[in-house]
Amino acid sequence: MAINLEKISAILQNFVSSTNDVQGAALVTPDGLPLAATLPGGMDEERVSAMSAAMLSLGERIGGELARGSIDRIYVEGNTGYGILTSCSEDAVFLVLASQAAKQGLLLLEIKRAVTELKTLLQ
Amino acid sequence: MVLDSHEFMTRMARRTNFTPEDRAILQASADWGLEIAPDMADAFYTYMGNDEEMNAILNESEGRIHRLRETFVEWFHEMFTGMDDWGTDYADRRWRIGLIHVRVGIGPQHVVPAMATVVNEVGQRLRSEGKSDELHDALSRICMIDLAFIEQAYLEISTAAVLKETGWTEKLFKRMIATGAAAST
Repeated sequence: MAINLEKISAILQNFVSSTNDVQGAALVTPDGLPLAATLPGGMDEERVSAMSAAMLSLGERIGGELARGSIDRIYVEGNTGYGILTSCSEDAVFLVLASQAAKQGLLLLEIKRAVTELKTLLQ
Repeated sequence: MVLDSHEFMTRMARRTNFTPEDRAILQASADWGLEIAPDMADAFYTYMGNDEEMNAILNESEGRIHRLRETFVEWFHEMFTGMDDWGTDYADRRWRIGLIHVRVGIGPQHVVPAMATVVNEVGQRLRSEGKSDELHDALSRICMIDLAFIEQAYLEISTAAVLKETGWTEKLFKRMIATGAAAST
């Protein structure tokens, strides 16, 4: 069955607009190609996608090397916000950008919900 | 990412227009090639020895330069004989020579000028001995093919190491190089 990109885009847009303090999201392939993205203006979708795939893959490699088991997500915490990468099946990586004001518990819960939804569309 | 050396050889022969005529000309001069190989090795290693960085690499371990010199003479002669008519054995041997260069730390920045030295020395020898332009052209082409092997080995090994350590896919790595290059220009 073909992947429904329209629906994936709708999930991403809904996630960004309805989750407090979320500034952008993207779903990319392990090869770093964007499947769908709703990113803040000025961000290069191609570069963000490649970096996201690279970082999750490297994180998984580090996790293996340091005996941390399988990696659920990777956080990048800066002084103006977060970048959170979550593995979304073997075929995709989910990137979420959130401001510093984001409540982490709520954010992780929303990410979990979105990933569950996205996974069903990627099967 | 493992190079198919035979396929690479075929592709390079096509790309450089290395023809059956070139092969015949080289094989007909194989004895001459063997005769001048030690002189070419002398010129090559004199050039390399004048470069401080290269000299350090060549003399890093005892007997290395002696072994490399022997390999050079064989390598030079094989360009004329083609081993198995520039087939799988020839390609595998070129690939292995490329790997040795990578292992001892001889990169493209060293190999290209060094190969230019060989081409220049052979050119002078060809002229001084009144050899044909056809032999000169055939030798230039096979030198460029061999150079391509060494360069490619460096790229393949470096890439394979990055992919192994990061877990990145080859497509992702190439995409990052392309986007990185675009951002740098």
